[in-house]
Amino acid sequence: MPREALHRTGALVRHNTMLMLREPGPLASRMVLPLAFLILLHPLYEQAQRGQRGIAQAVIATIVTFSLLAMSIAGSTFLTERIWHTWERVRATAAHPAELLIGKAVPVIAALLLQQAAVLGFGVAVLRLAVAGLPLLALVMMAWALTLVGMGAALGLLARSLSGLSACYDIGGMILSSLGGALVPLTAMPAWIRHVAPASPGYWAVSALEGALRGEAGRTLTASAMLLAFAAGACLIAVVRASRGWGRSAQL
Amino acid sequence: MLTKTGWPELATVGTTGRPRTAAVLAAEGLVKRYGAKNALDGFELAVRPGEIAGLVGHNGAGKTTFVEIVTGLVRPDAGRVFVDGVDALRNSRQARRLIGVAPQEQSLYVSATVRDNLRLFGALAGLRGSELRASIDQVAAELRLTQVADKQIGLLSGGQRRRTQVATALIGTARLLLLDEPTAGADPETRAALLAAVRARAAAGVAVLYATHYLPELADLGATLVVVREGKVLARGAQHDLMAGLPGELRLRFASQRAGAWDPQPADAAGSLPAELARRARHVDGEVRIASADPPADLAAILAAGCAPASVDVRRPDLDDLYRSLAEAASHAA
Repeated sequence: MPREALHRTGALVRHNTMLMLREPGPLASRMVLPLAFLILLHPLYEQAQRGQRGIAQAVIATIVTFSLLAMSIAGSTFLTERIWHTWERVRATAAHPAELLIGKAVPVIAALLLQQAAVLGFGVAVLRLAVAGLPLLALVMMAWALTLVGMGAALGLLARSLSGLSACYDIGGMILSSLGGALVPLTAMPAWIRHVAPASPGYWAVSALEGALRGEAGRTLTASAMLLAFAAGACLIAVVRASRGWGRSAQL
Repeated sequence: MLTKTGWPELATVGTTGRPRTAAVLAAEGLVKRYGAKNALDGFELAVRPGEIAGLVGHNGAGKTTFVEIVTGLVRPDAGRVFVDGVDALRNSRQARRLIGVAPQEQSLYVSATVRDNLRLFGALAGLRGSELRASIDQVAAELRLTQVADKQIGLLSGGQRRRTQVATALIGTARLLLLDEPTAGADPETRAALLAAVRARAAAGVAVLYATHYLPELADLGATLVVVREGKVLARGAQHDLMAGLPGELRLRFASQRAGAWDPQPADAAGSLPAELARRARHVDGEVRIASADPPADLAAILAAGCAPASVDVRRPDLDDLYRSLAEAASHAA
């Protein structure tokens, strides 16, 4: 990346981080709620599945469910640009659309990683969660964060209003999370759900996290590759939408 | 002098396709269609260094579409645009480095401060470190924003937001400023600050394209006029030259002698006007309105005929008169 582009991207990352921190409410709730959920519900999971399996299920359920809901951080950061008409304004500068997207994505990825790290850290420190493959876990966390930011960006760039976006995250997040077997193991779900589960990125996130915690490299890498494929598809939609702009005919 | 559009500097030479031009902004044969509507239909324009070109036209005339094409937000269906010699359609990002833009709609980060907004757009314009900080302070002072520099945009008045919007265009070293209705709804203080800043940039050699509906503002700026209608530049030249010869209007009100109170009777009064003026008279809202290329002479003729209006207003020709006149000229030519 040329020096000028690096400088611009750095300025965009700083600016977007500042915007996120200036309104910390959504970020704080996405950090606190998962921990509260985990504290309250881990006894239930431990009782249902006994020992490490129950702890792992509780931690994974929390990570996948709440990180899907945290897609709203990504989506609203893009949608807000459209509401403020700043997206067209920054597109009229020398910055390349990729620089604009990286500038927006980096702070969001950092927030999503922080959320996952907080839940995992709590699981390890308080619940004695065993992690067999730490490097694999880092890989999964990054792949999952990229998937979430890609899907969040695509939704944020396609949505027509904040309420519409919010409905997408709340309903879509819960469906993808449940469908993926995060909240309830797939073995306990109806057969048809087991058939459609692979269509949910939540399924691959659960699979990748389980694989990483158990140190199963093959399973982890396959699931992470699937997550990255979801991420690539979502990013493609976002880039096409972002580089076309909205013009004055847009609703926002 | 009313000049035809499409300035001669647009001619190209050699194999580079680069125009032999002193113009900072040169547009040639731009066409942009939205469905069946031609937003631009053979739009041609050149703006030289230090020139303020006032882009005037009714809503939907094509002003904003042109600005969006120059900034690379919209691709034309045909035509060429050069910014300081750079092909803005082929090398859009390189061209955008040379442009400062203030769009028609407010486009500011509402939860950020004035300084944050200026810092971002300054950095995207290529400024950094102490140079960036000094530019922020300078532009904020120029547009009277120093006192509110650390306030969030959401807490500012409309005028302060307007000034911030223009400040994001002025920060940096743009060779071309595109200002789309920068003073719309602005108070006198805001307008004065903005016009002073624009004048200063033009004096430093920056070319300015200034879209507006307010002709007096363009007169204040000493701007040339670019009259746009239905996606075409209808006329181009100095405001004084374009407006010269356009008829203004005499507006006469008459008081009733019988009632002893204010009671306009334009029909009766018009009856006593000199015949030549009566032919041009219209009765509107209790007034007699007479199109007049020479209001003092016509008023003298009215008084000489024994007609005694209670009040007389002289309306100068405005943008509507110019459009009408140019449209009539165009249809006659056709």
